[in-house]
Amino acid sequence: MRSLVPYVFLLLFVGPTVCAEARAAEPVSLEAQVRELTRAVQDLRLTVENQQREIALLKGQTPPPFRTPAAPAAGPAAARGRWNPDIGVVADTLVTADTPKADTEGADRLSVREVEVIFGSNVDPYSRLDATFAFSDFEEASLDEAYLTHFALPWEVTGRVGRFRPRVGKVLQTHRDALDTVDMPLAVQRYFGSEGYARSGADLTRALDLPFDSAHEVTLGVLEGGNEEGGTLFGDRRRPTFYARSKNYWDLGEVTGLELGASFLSGSRDADVSREVGVFAADLSLFHDFEPPRRLKLQAEAFHVNRRESLTMLADAVTGVVTAQDLDGTLWGAYGLADLRFHVNWAAGLRLDRVEPIDAFGNPDPADTGYTGYLTFYQSEFARWRLQFSHLDLAAGENDDRVFVQGTFSIGEHKHKLQ
Amino acid sequence: MIRRPILGALAALALFAWAPPAAAAEKLNVVTTTSLYADLVRQIAGDAVEVRYVAPPKFNIHYIQPKPSDVRNVRRADLFVQSGLDHEHWTDPLLQAAGRTELFRGSVRNADMSTGITLLEVPQGQVDRMEGDIHLFGNPHFYVGPQNVPAMTATLLGKLKELDPDNAAAYDTNAAAFLEKFTARLAEWKTSAEKTAGKEIVSYHKDIAYLADFLGVKAEQFVEPKPGIPPTPKHVGFLAGYMKERGIRLIVTPTYYPRRTAEEVAGRAGGRVAIVCQNAGEVPGTEDVFGFFDHNVKAISEGVA
Repeated sequence: MRSLVPYVFLLLFVGPTVCAEARAAEPVSLEAQVRELTRAVQDLRLTVENQQREIALLKGQTPPPFRTPAAPAAGPAAARGRWNPDIGVVADTLVTADTPKADTEGADRLSVREVEVIFGSNVDPYSRLDATFAFSDFEEASLDEAYLTHFALPWEVTGRVGRFRPRVGKVLQTHRDALDTVDMPLAVQRYFGSEGYARSGADLTRALDLPFDSAHEVTLGVLEGGNEEGGTLFGDRRRPTFYARSKNYWDLGEVTGLELGASFLSGSRDADVSREVGVFAADLSLFHDFEPPRRLKLQAEAFHVNRRESLTMLADAVTGVVTAQDLDGTLWGAYGLADLRFHVNWAAGLRLDRVEPIDAFGNPDPADTGYTGYLTFYQSEFARWRLQFSHLDLAAGENDDRVFVQGTFSIGEHKHKLQ
Repeated sequence: MIRRPILGALAALALFAWAPPAAAAEKLNVVTTTSLYADLVRQIAGDAVEVRYVAPPKFNIHYIQPKPSDVRNVRRADLFVQSGLDHEHWTDPLLQAAGRTELFRGSVRNADMSTGITLLEVPQGQVDRMEGDIHLFGNPHFYVGPQNVPAMTATLLGKLKELDPDNAAAYDTNAAAFLEKFTARLAEWKTSAEKTAGKEIVSYHKDIAYLADFLGVKAEQFVEPKPGIPPTPKHVGFLAGYMKERGIRLIVTPTYYPRRTAEEVAGRAGGRVAIVCQNAGEVPGTEDVFGFFDHNVKAISEGVA
């Protein structure tokens, strides 16, 4: 982590107060006065209405309808209780039936795969803190995310520091409970981890105002090394991973849009300081809103891994003989997803996967492939059921058929970030 | 070895600083959540502002997923206009993605249109999702009631004058002219409402409370059994019986709810379905504030006649 310190310092703490002071001069006092006056007028009006009601009752007449007082939408009354952060809970329950009999994560059982407890609130006029704690009935409790977002950096830059999901591709930014499928695409599972990729670090995002009718954004970041559980891409946590992303969006009509993104991650596999792992990721998303929530989404991502790792012990896939080999070479993985929300209550989709696992160097048929189909029932805005079937052809020579039934339920205040 | 990343980081920071800033805008840039607010801004500010809205008029405001182009528009905005309360859940993530704190709720460049509105159906006591997608502060569809337009105009006028004092006199003049015209129409709508007073109608969603209040009609039953909960066959049966028993002949709905269920209920009860818009431009002829309220008042007054 020591090597991260100068970058974090450089990225987040140089000059934010410059903008902060400029913004403090905004004319807020006038607005506060108007709010106070508005509130006073409303109170007086209510008093008059209530008096009229009482007079009517005294005269034996039908009283005018009682009006409830105005909500504390703004002003001092709105502040009551607002020191508490927004709190949300998302429960992700899963029934899994699969071919292998190994007792892996949640296999052949009903499990509470994850319960996320989410807190979020503004820290001050310039920053916001979001934290997500994850609990499971078969894993230790963990800190999924906890990061500060700073909105008032120079050059209209937004910065984050803490543990977060980097702005790489599409699904890597998404919590599992918000995915279109039960599980992450195979490429993400094999390279980054089965739960995606959240690391401690810092990043900066800035929108680029280009002279086109499109939207562009650039992100640069530095993360601690390593992967999530099951990931194989990076190694030692002490060696930082640097990343960059370019996001580009075009409206193809009022209700149709196209997004193209390109990301690059550079990190280390082992304890030395050379940056022997490079990942280039490209993503494409096309959506069309028929009439919300009815929507068609086509999404694809590809990850191209370039490794220069020497003398790693590898087992031959056929003989099982372990030898030391260089791992210079490239691997790639990709997925394509089509999701159709065809009814306010129903959605269906299909995902195709192909990934060359890190440990498949030298294997004649090194790719895991698979297809997934699912049907989702939205019981309400806050409860969702999903039936999913996945078939995997593994590079190791086995097949795996899986059936999932997933229930996802949320309570409290929980708003997903825009990607 | 560490020198290369440092140089890379510095080069990247230079890119951030170098990227050309947005060209200085001659007009005030206003982004509103809905097309109705956008037209209100136009009524007051005329050509002095550029107005865009986020939610397409035919879409349900509850389900909007802002696009990156919306984020870009908000980031360039001088003023963001929203309903406030807990109505448009997507506005906070949108504003955070845009990253400009002065546009956030309660900040100087954010117009909260619920300011000064007397809200109806404010929940009393414990609030629970057992009641469906209810709103904590009261019914947030206040903009469908023409009686609330003066308060919304005052909110917008105050913000526009505050942010663009050079054009304050013009805004005052425009707003006065608009309100004079609107007040005359308000009186006409109120007169036409005399025929509807006391009648009962059914609404698809709990979204016409303010219009019903203005017209003096009752709207106490809904096609949705609870807000945001799709109708069940049992509820459809109950509603058809309820309408028949009370001689209710009108179900109103915006364009974006499934028409089939409403028509099934109306058919079984011998009634009919009429469109009452939630957004300006939802149906032809409702593109401006006057057309919007004209259409809605007529849809109900003719529907119950």
